[in-house]
Amino acid sequence: MSAIPVLDVQGLKTHFFTKTGVVKAVDGVSFTLMPGETLGIVGESGSGKSMTALSLMQLVPQPAGRIVAGKILFQGEDLVHKTQSEMQDIRGRDICMILQDPMTSLNPLFTIGSQVLETVRQRQGGRRSGLMDRAIELLQKVKIPSPEIRMTNYPHQMSGGMRQRVVGSIAIAGSPKVLIADEATTSLDATIQYQYLALLKELQAETGMAIIFITHDFGIVAKMCDRVAVMYAGRVAEIADVRDLFNNPAHPYTEALMRSVPNVDEEVEYLYAIEGQPPALDSLPPGCTFAPRCPYVFDRCNEEFPDLINVGEGHSATCWKLAK
Amino acid sequence: MTMTTTLEDSNQTVIQLDNCQKYFPVTKGLIIQSSIGQVKAVDGVSLQIREGQTYGLVGESGCGKTTTAKMVLQIESPTGGLISFNGKNIADFNAADRRQYRSSVQAVFQDPWSSLNPRMKVGSIILEPLLANQSMNKHDARETLLRLLREVGLHDYQADYYPHEFSGGQRQRIAIARALSLQPKVIVLDEPVSALDVSIRAQIMNLLKEIQNRYGVSYLLIAHNLATVRYMSNYVGVMYLGKIVEEGPTRDLFTNPMHPYTKALISASLPAHPDIQREDLLLSGEVPSPLDPPTGCAFHPRCPMVLDRCSRDDPALQKLAPGHRVSCHLY
Repeated sequence: MSAIPVLDVQGLKTHFFTKTGVVKAVDGVSFTLMPGETLGIVGESGSGKSMTALSLMQLVPQPAGRIVAGKILFQGEDLVHKTQSEMQDIRGRDICMILQDPMTSLNPLFTIGSQVLETVRQRQGGRRSGLMDRAIELLQKVKIPSPEIRMTNYPHQMSGGMRQRVVGSIAIAGSPKVLIADEATTSLDATIQYQYLALLKELQAETGMAIIFITHDFGIVAKMCDRVAVMYAGRVAEIADVRDLFNNPAHPYTEALMRSVPNVDEEVEYLYAIEGQPPALDSLPPGCTFAPRCPYVFDRCNEEFPDLINVGEGHSATCWKLAK
Repeated sequence: MTMTTTLEDSNQTVIQLDNCQKYFPVTKGLIIQSSIGQVKAVDGVSLQIREGQTYGLVGESGCGKTTTAKMVLQIESPTGGLISFNGKNIADFNAADRRQYRSSVQAVFQDPWSSLNPRMKVGSIILEPLLANQSMNKHDARETLLRLLREVGLHDYQADYYPHEFSGGQRQRIAIARALSLQPKVIVLDEPVSALDVSIRAQIMNLLKEIQNRYGVSYLLIAHNLATVRYMSNYVGVMYLGKIVEEGPTRDLFTNPMHPYTKALISASLPAHPDIQREDLLLSGEVPSPLDPPTGCAFHPRCPMVLDRCSRDDPALQKLAPGHRVSCHLY
């Protein structure tokens, strides 16, 4: 693995300016992504994980949302200052995204074939020859049986798993450096999700792309990721290598969240439940955003937001407990 | 847990399904309709919901678990087989019995955004089933309402709020309070936590367990997440294409799964720790269309251990251990 990260995000802040106040959807997120690495971004709804992904793609809903601070260095270039047309080239070619619901990412009025071909045509520039072969090759890569016939199908004629494969084939058409999977398998059934995750791993091994998994499911993190960032109320609560995170979670939120998830492999009589609910992003508590729900809370937590404190190699968390 | 396993057989059966079927006709033509086939959504399901226990039904989408729940709720009536409640066939019910059945069997649905009327205050939502079924003076109604609110962990003053003022977890609490208002014997839980945030799920699952311990209510839990089912249920049935392929006491089923489909489901479930390595049972293909199910065992086209006879004979459910039944030619 080379030492230059393919993606280096520093202090990213994406805020929404609404009539009722500023919503800090992403509020100081930093992480790096190495080529071929798989990073998981876990969090609950409203934790800012999807908005982080959209910020990377420069697709923050305008005009309410804006990236107000931070850098997104993709292979050394800052994406925040790119123009729309420059971003258009990067999006889809270098950084791709697979979204949760394949029915909304595919156009229901066009055949699968024409949608894959459209992407292939764009990626190949002016060349007109071999488009069909390339499209079929892509569909074969995502293991769609009899792709020649499937090309003539409309999205509604395919199952959810197959549709998500088509979206996958469009995403890898330009051999991206970074693939962002935003809850990409949430709508799939268990055995189909398993197939899809295996497929993504295979494609990653083949192309060496880096993957960012945006998910709420620690299971996906455990199965797929090398590194994990746990997000809470717009900030990274903890970031670590996957084994470090599961073996010694440093942030009370990570720890509590892991204890509150039921386990297939173990019999549990009573699950630990985190009291309360995530804070509203337009009225965050003054100190640590997790303080109102934290079992270890002390004075300092209610006064200022904790710094990112190092607890091990590549493992840090924002919690005052660690500074004691 | 040991206590519940010994209770398993002594607990009385509240609802029993015997070889229940639900076939939906598939029709063609707009004015002159002709039947061109049928979808066997549920094809011969037998199960028992015992007093104070939870029966979990797992399976992928389209396997018929929700249709089974709808038959229990009497939203759909079975096209074959029978359902009995406290030993009495519900097809023979008179109007009074039916009324009583409907108040004894309640439901909590997946999506608390669509299961609560946005124009009604929480207090009226919770009391509606009660006032529809029995006459009650204002004072008693208010008392009951406050008791139910506290029961599910909400505050008294929240009775006058509208559903939109609550978060998803709180809405699910309201739905649970409404289901409890008639002191039901059975509550059908259709994916009760899958729409909720991770940190809220444990709260709701624990609340449901506490309520069960306190009132001895039985649950029919429909879920696709194996971990949820394992945590909540005493007894688990695994469904595939309208049939129960394996059924057993929870611990038995998870530690000693027999049917290749159950094994595949467990192997496909996501691990709780990166060091957990599972037997790799990658199923090829997808669930076939119930319009045109495979011959023989419905699972045979995807089964990694398929035998010759699997494509010809449909295996019957056979008992392999106490309470543990499997339909597979391997045994």
